[in-house]
Amino acid sequence: MMSYLEEHYELIHKTPRLFALHVTREQLLDTLHQITTHTSFDTLSQLTCTDWIEEERFELGYMLTNALRSHNLMLKCSIARDKVTMPSLALLFAQAEVMERELHEMFGIGFEGNETLYDFALEGWCDIPPMRREFDTLAYVNAHYDFREGREDNLDVKEEIKKRKAAAKSAKETPSGA
Amino acid sequence: MDEGFIPYQQSLEDEEQSIKSTQSVIEQAIAWFRAHSMFVLAYGTGCGAIEMPPTFTSRYDIERLGVVGVATPRQADILIVSGYCSPKTLKRVIRSYEQMSEPKYIIGLGSCTINGGMYWDSYNTIKKLDDFLPVDMYVNGCMPRPEALIEGFVKLQEKIRANSSEAGYIQYRTRYAHYRANQERLFGTQVQPRYEENFAGMNL
Repeated sequence: MMSYLEEHYELIHKTPRLFALHVTREQLLDTLHQITTHTSFDTLSQLTCTDWIEEERFELGYMLTNALRSHNLMLKCSIARDKVTMPSLALLFAQAEVMERELHEMFGIGFEGNETLYDFALEGWCDIPPMRREFDTLAYVNAHYDFREGREDNLDVKEEIKKRKAAAKSAKETPSGA
Repeated sequence: MDEGFIPYQQSLEDEEQSIKSTQSVIEQAIAWFRAHSMFVLAYGTGCGAIEMPPTFTSRYDIERLGVVGVATPRQADILIVSGYCSPKTLKRVIRSYEQMSEPKYIIGLGSCTINGGMYWDSYNTIKKLDDFLPVDMYVNGCMPRPEALIEGFVKLQEKIRANSSEAGYIQYRTRYAHYRANQERLFGTQVQPRYEENFAGMNL
């Protein structure tokens, strides 16, 4: 199965069991179709996204697995961060539908042909998607939630541990000195 | 010698003496029955739900205290909010709580219900459960062991037998505006129907 891949694509050997290859957005569907037809990589096991905010791009990772679960192949596809949509894989792999729905919610990536891109885990979310790196989690939490005040005897844990250790040490030394 | 049935029985009898002074015999009997037939809604919100099966099954066997799991909120007396609670889950929790018939009690299980725990800076978990629902008993820990949960139930039994007007379900009726305001602030437009319609005709 590797011979076909090495013949037709620039395969990157990451580890003995993990391979990667770069595809563009336009090549993706065609490449996936060719690979699932000609090799034993026939299952989509993961769909990941990495936010490279400095380079203004998302890197999507389509992880394919063979039936023995012995080898993995990752198709990497870079897209621009703002308002770029991907073709949906829902017709090729049924499980892609829910993975795309999650990426849509967490990163705001659109998927053409996926009918289920509505609220998933976050209901009524009206901020920027929370997994994008420009999202300030702490500011959001401070604006939306109340924190419980600390206890009245709110002690500094590190200081207290130091004090207790010092007290235990002096208690140990005193009887031996006397 | 502070384990086993006999000391437990002894402790119950000791409390009876102190409670007797404020309650009539009928009230005492009703409170005793209530405290010893706590039906828990079989519903778990977070990782605390993992600690509940051992609590209910043969090793810790909480049924000896009269605690039984039931499948529907209509029959349940106790709601255990077991761990972190996202706004989406909280809506379902509030719905379940409001469907339970009174008297009803809430146990907050784990640090997450108290102050957010390890999710204190998460964008999708609430930090204080008692802003939204009246909590009768908190069991802290991450995660609390079944022994801690049992201790929580024992303390709750004492509270039920004292039959206080501070009980959570009474608070939820009398201070509903406070809880409702917090719920509305969190959920925005996607709020539940108003609970107070359920007790509109009641003489509070």
